[in-house]
Amino acid sequence: MVPKIMKQGTLTPWFYLAAAIIIMFVFIVYPTINTVILSLKDKTGTHSAAVDCTPGEPCWGMFENYRYALTNQDMLQALRNNALWILLTVPGTVGAGLMFAVLTDRVRYEKLAKTIVFLPMAISFVGASIIWRFVYYLEAGGGPQIGVLNAIITALGGQPIAWLTNKSWIVNNISLWVVWIWLWAGFCMTILSAALRGVPTELLEAARVDGATEWQVFWRIMFPIILPTITVVATTMTINVLKVFDIVFVMTNGLNGTEVIANRMFKFIVTNQGRSMAIAVLLIILTIPIMIINVRRFREQEMIR
Amino acid sequence: MTAREHVLRPRISSIRWQRVMLYTVLIAFAIFYLMPVYVLIVTGLKSFAEVSLYRMWYPPSGLHFDSYIKAWFGSEAEGFRGLNVNFMNSVYLTIPATIISAMWGSINGYILTKWKFRGSDVLFPLLLFGMFIPYQSILIPLVQTLQKINIFGIRLYGSIPGLILTHVIYGIPITTLIFRNYYASVPTELVEAARIDGANIFSVYRHVLFPLSMPGFVVVMIWQFTSIWNDFLFAATVTSNPEAQPITVGLNNLAGSYIVEWNVQMAGALIAALPTLLVYIFLGRFFMRGLMAGSLKG
Repeated sequence: MVPKIMKQGTLTPWFYLAAAIIIMFVFIVYPTINTVILSLKDKTGTHSAAVDCTPGEPCWGMFENYRYALTNQDMLQALRNNALWILLTVPGTVGAGLMFAVLTDRVRYEKLAKTIVFLPMAISFVGASIIWRFVYYLEAGGGPQIGVLNAIITALGGQPIAWLTNKSWIVNNISLWVVWIWLWAGFCMTILSAALRGVPTELLEAARVDGATEWQVFWRIMFPIILPTITVVATTMTINVLKVFDIVFVMTNGLNGTEVIANRMFKFIVTNQGRSMAIAVLLIILTIPIMIINVRRFREQEMIR
Repeated sequence: MTAREHVLRPRISSIRWQRVMLYTVLIAFAIFYLMPVYVLIVTGLKSFAEVSLYRMWYPPSGLHFDSYIKAWFGSEAEGFRGLNVNFMNSVYLTIPATIISAMWGSINGYILTKWKFRGSDVLFPLLLFGMFIPYQSILIPLVQTLQKINIFGIRLYGSIPGLILTHVIYGIPITTLIFRNYYASVPTELVEAARIDGANIFSVYRHVLFPLSMPGFVVVMIWQFTSIWNDFLFAATVTSNPEAQPITVGLNNLAGSYIVEWNVQMAGALIAALPTLLVYIFLGRFFMRGLMAGSLKG
């Protein structure tokens, strides 16, 4: 219950929040509406998108940019890749984070291990991409392999691998996913390890005394208790991965089968506003279901509070 | 040997086996995590002749800071710009933007938790939307708005003040939500007591909440400092003028031109990462503690 005294002067709190509310409308609500409008316009945002139609070819009228966003080959590739990014890196980051959280709790150098895993969070995606580009570098000209991975492979007598320019698109994507996991697992670990701290020690002791193996202790006791936190981390990571841009932009620029939605959108931002904004709207629509899950969770927490 | 010992023995050896497995897994991951860091540091200290050697991961023959000098000042002969201007731009951008957005978030969080009124129903959904929305989707309208705004002769588009404004604005959701969660744990009785003593809305903040806010400020400021310093998307779209571009854009340009050698690229990457790395190394435990305390969990 809010005491009566806190309700006095109802105008003053408005005054303090007014700036934030106005700014949110001007810079978040208005641009979002504007983006939707621009997505129905042509390249320069002056005419209806219908002017971009070529006679004799399929045309969606004012939704022409959406025809591009949903049917163009490069866009289909980007959609496929984003789906794979979600399916593989979300479990990848959360799983790795959980594993670090559980395992580092059992060793002497816990703090050091956690810091090492957490440190990549401090590096920008651009910086990390440049470092990893060098790790993956392939010397195609016949000189010695100086990229670290290929140097190791050739030193062991193997053939160098094109990590980012492979004929097989999946290899290039896997290389990018590894970088993503390297960057984000520490964040997942930190939050999950806090949740693990919340598991009552007596419960774990009791199970161990009763002869449960560590494997059983994890799956039957720890996992169910921290499941809500795992869901939070997973939804956060899903939103992050939907927006993935910097890494792809710097490392491959979407070439060799690694295109993603946000990079497609960025490519058109100067040359074709309508198209760019239609792709942006698509991105918003894809994030909405996860946003709803998160908002619901927020509400539930408010109830508890 | 008693029967009891006999029963225990297999378990002990299996525990030892588990330890070996545990350490093997952890060491493997430590290598995975540290390999790029090692490459970053070692390559940056090498001369170009050494980088070309196939024994790439060998330590450098001595400490060559030439790569750092080249990455910082650029090289007119080879035709690329150094990072010094970009680095300073990032400093001028990140420090004010971090402080302003932390202060603003703190006041918003205070009003939202300690004053119950309808305003929170308006602002809260906006904050959540603002936090989760992909920023790519508002870029063009944002740039158009910034191009129109011209305060006291300061052009916002393409300038550092414009970028500061952008980061402050898009920092409001996260900073407000972190402080909101933080202040929710501060007993409302404290605020009530101050009110009874006649404190107004601002002096309650100034004398009661603000002095308790240090842990909240640490988390928010580290978070904002890192995300603003490391941001590329806004940096690349809001500033097209090379003189105003922050470090991430400068680094991308440096690494994007194929004339620049790997050792210079690595030196550049380390220069760009240095401030945030130092913050994490020295303040990281406060940040991790803050994260763990649930500040970011919602």
